[in-house]
Amino acid sequence: MKVRRAWVLWLALWMFPLQAQEKVLHVAFSASETGFDPVQTSDLNTAAVEQQLFESLLTYDYLARPAKLVPRLAAALPSVSGQGRIWTFTLKKGVYFAPDPVFQGRKREVTATDVVYTLMRFMDPKNRSPYKFLLEGKIEGLDERADRARVTGHFDYDTPVAGLTVLDPWHVRVHLKTTDYDFGHAMAQPIMGIVAREVIEAYAGDTASHPVGTGPYRLGQWLRSARIELIRNPNYRSEVWHFSPGKDPENQRLVAQMEGKTLPQIDRIDIQIIEEAQSAWLSFGKGELDILGLPAQFSPLALSGDQLRPEWVRRGIHLDRIVEPAIAYYFINQQDPLLGGMTPARIALRRAIFLAMNDGEMMRVIDKGQAIRTAYPIPPGVAGADAQYQSLLNYDPELANQLLDAYGYRRDRTGYRLQPDGKPLEVQYTTGLSSQDRELDEVMKKSLDRIGLRFSSNKLKFPDIIRAERQCQVQFRLSAWIADYPDGDNFMQLWYGPHTHENNASCYQDPEWDRLYEQTLVLPDSPRRDALYHRLARRLELYGVTKVSTSALRNVLSQPWVLGYRAHPILPSVWNYLDVEERHDATP
Amino acid sequence: MTQIYSSRRSENAWSLALRRLWRDPVGRFSLGVVMCYLVLVGMVLAGWLGARWNDPVAVNYAPPTWCASVANRVTLPAGEAWDRSSVIPLYGWTDPLEPLWSEARAAAQRIQPEPVSYRLTLLFGADKWGRDVGQKVLKGTQTSVWVGLVAAFVATFIGTVLGALAGYYGRWVDDLLNGFYGVLTSIPYLLLVFAVAAVFQQKGVGTLILILGLTGWTGVFRLVRAEYLKHRTREYVLAAGALGASHGRRVWVHILPNVSHVILVQFSQNLVGFIKSEVILSFLGFGVPVSSVSWGSMLNEAQNELILGKWWQLGVTTVAMAIFVTALSLLTDALRDALDPRLNS
Repeated sequence: MKVRRAWVLWLALWMFPLQAQEKVLHVAFSASETGFDPVQTSDLNTAAVEQQLFESLLTYDYLARPAKLVPRLAAALPSVSGQGRIWTFTLKKGVYFAPDPVFQGRKREVTATDVVYTLMRFMDPKNRSPYKFLLEGKIEGLDERADRARVTGHFDYDTPVAGLTVLDPWHVRVHLKTTDYDFGHAMAQPIMGIVAREVIEAYAGDTASHPVGTGPYRLGQWLRSARIELIRNPNYRSEVWHFSPGKDPENQRLVAQMEGKTLPQIDRIDIQIIEEAQSAWLSFGKGELDILGLPAQFSPLALSGDQLRPEWVRRGIHLDRIVEPAIAYYFINQQDPLLGGMTPARIALRRAIFLAMNDGEMMRVIDKGQAIRTAYPIPPGVAGADAQYQSLLNYDPELANQLLDAYGYRRDRTGYRLQPDGKPLEVQYTTGLSSQDRELDEVMKKSLDRIGLRFSSNKLKFPDIIRAERQCQVQFRLSAWIADYPDGDNFMQLWYGPHTHENNASCYQDPEWDRLYEQTLVLPDSPRRDALYHRLARRLELYGVTKVSTSALRNVLSQPWVLGYRAHPILPSVWNYLDVEERHDATP
Repeated sequence: MTQIYSSRRSENAWSLALRRLWRDPVGRFSLGVVMCYLVLVGMVLAGWLGARWNDPVAVNYAPPTWCASVANRVTLPAGEAWDRSSVIPLYGWTDPLEPLWSEARAAAQRIQPEPVSYRLTLLFGADKWGRDVGQKVLKGTQTSVWVGLVAAFVATFIGTVLGALAGYYGRWVDDLLNGFYGVLTSIPYLLLVFAVAAVFQQKGVGTLILILGLTGWTGVFRLVRAEYLKHRTREYVLAAGALGASHGRRVWVHILPNVSHVILVQFSQNLVGFIKSEVILSFLGFGVPVSSVSWGSMLNEAQNELILGKWWQLGVTTVAMAIFVTALSLLTDALRDALDPRLNS
């Protein structure tokens, strides 16, 4: 999932004192939503809403760490046979879609046919799904169906596909082409939420504004880029809050608050788009915000070290602190006319740029200490992580200068370097428009000045940056990726050649790398896969493709009247597991 | 007869106006302040002041000297300690940059970085990178005033030329230019500025000047046009025409000097407006690039610092800007008073 680095204001919830008994949760996003058709979603905020509107077959346990797969629309975990190739899902009975005019007043039950339809949609070329990679090349016969649709211009949903078998209305069997132990994670994504074919077809062309799912909430009033309202789905089945606390005392407190309550407890969720973090921060201070994902720039005010400051503790405010299963990584476009290419001089230039990036200063000044150094592409808390991995490209401007000198990047009279052939050289760094992005620009300029490279900045809005990345138009950027599912593959796929124009923003296409990567696909989390991952990670550094920099820490503050909140590393939103009690003020 | 003639010569409108300006204590004072700023700007442009604004000389957020209890330096090792001789496993790959990579590592290993000493306090404090706020505000003043000055020149020039053409020629020229003026002024000012900024894409001081200049000429246009409408039928213009002076000569040589006081006042008013617009644009992220600093970009940085209790960058910038803008506004008022012929008696 693409995220705005570090200062993603995770979610900010606040409640107003209400006259009626209705329980309302007010939530804020730091960036606009895109539209609620799961198949077209690729950003975290939209996924957070879809997590509540739709339900996937599987999901992650709310309290278990590391994140553990549990059934959601499925009645149980799937049975896997044929060495991870045959997956059989059993659906819960009596699950109904939220009411919609399309159903003409009837209650519409979810069946195995809906599951098959939902999966097929991802491969329909018309939908151009950014998350197609979760299914592409995996299911028997589905890619061939997509190829034919590309020729005929029409995707055939009616004839069954060999790999997707409806056994009866509540059983569906998926045949994979190769062994894949991660397929369960794919089925736990919020974007894999089950949709009804008649709804999609009735709203063809505008599916993004007519989400109809089985989730605990449905879409109420929606003002684009301003306010999203979620209201309780009257057709939601009866589910009960029941999670095992383990040994964690924090979890035991949650269980005491929530155990046995029917879900969802909150009637209405009101989401506002607030782009400026400072507004949200001040509201929280005044007690208007319930839960606040602490923006890094304000952490010195709320935290001392890794503890909450005493004045906040006295107010009964609660801190939840986790390492994000995410990486911030620099990448350079391998197809760029100025920095790309595989000649030794270009490789040296890219490695020099990465060597000049000062991770320590970045964490100290930009992240205000709310990040840890991660050199390996797989962050802590994700299967395959390696905290001991030693980077080839640690901050070292002296080495970078030596390297550039050795490869003939001479300095001109102004002290800036030229290309070996004497032509001018300028590194273009892409950022957004906020004040935080300006700070990044400043770090970047300082870093590049140290090795005599001219800096220029290309300022775009976040959606435009994503678009430019997909077109291989971004020369150099500090990007971030947060785990969709807690497995290393979700990170390693960022450099897979065929994912160019999707998530491979560095546009790196290396047959040798791709061949090794393909070998990892059939392996479960094991020392053998780890050995391959280490080779892949090192090759990315050797050829100057990427440098992994940091993992952010997520600090979530919540007011005393919020019940049941625990930051989840993977789930984009957990509002359905929360409750709010009548608001009381701890401060006099 | 001779004496009367020569005394008339000394009654030149400009020297009269200057004298009036000098008699006004507010005018004198504000002129002095503005001149000081312009001298400062000149010195920064020449590189005598504020040239080292980008150097980290102190620790992050070093406070102003007079409100800190400590006042000395701290010496920090240069760069993070990191052993280049350690062997990094390549997991079976060969390095495409060998042997130059190893040689560069060995060469870098021989360089002993010198420890750098940083100040713990500064007269005006330091920003988040440890840059001197005093130096920054000098450089920022130069950028902001320079942008304002050049943009005011551009706007005044465009407004004067178009206003003169519209007012003097009238008829379809007037209709056309008036229509253009009408369309432009019907758009809210900041919205128009943003639209032009979006069209330009390129960020930089030059772009900023163009944006402000291209959107800010309308006020000048309106007033100059009115003056030309008035003047084109005056006797001296008709006389010049009867003597065979061309239209161009009548517009630029005969009428222009007689409306120049209006243009001068408009120029100084535009200057105030543009300096404020530059601050707003930079504050909103449309302004100067990161390789430069202006009052607006400093205020933009200060918004997050203030909440952390680091008020000095905001304070220094605000004071510098407030003094200049106030002085310039007062000067504009005084100039208008001094130049307005109706106030002569």
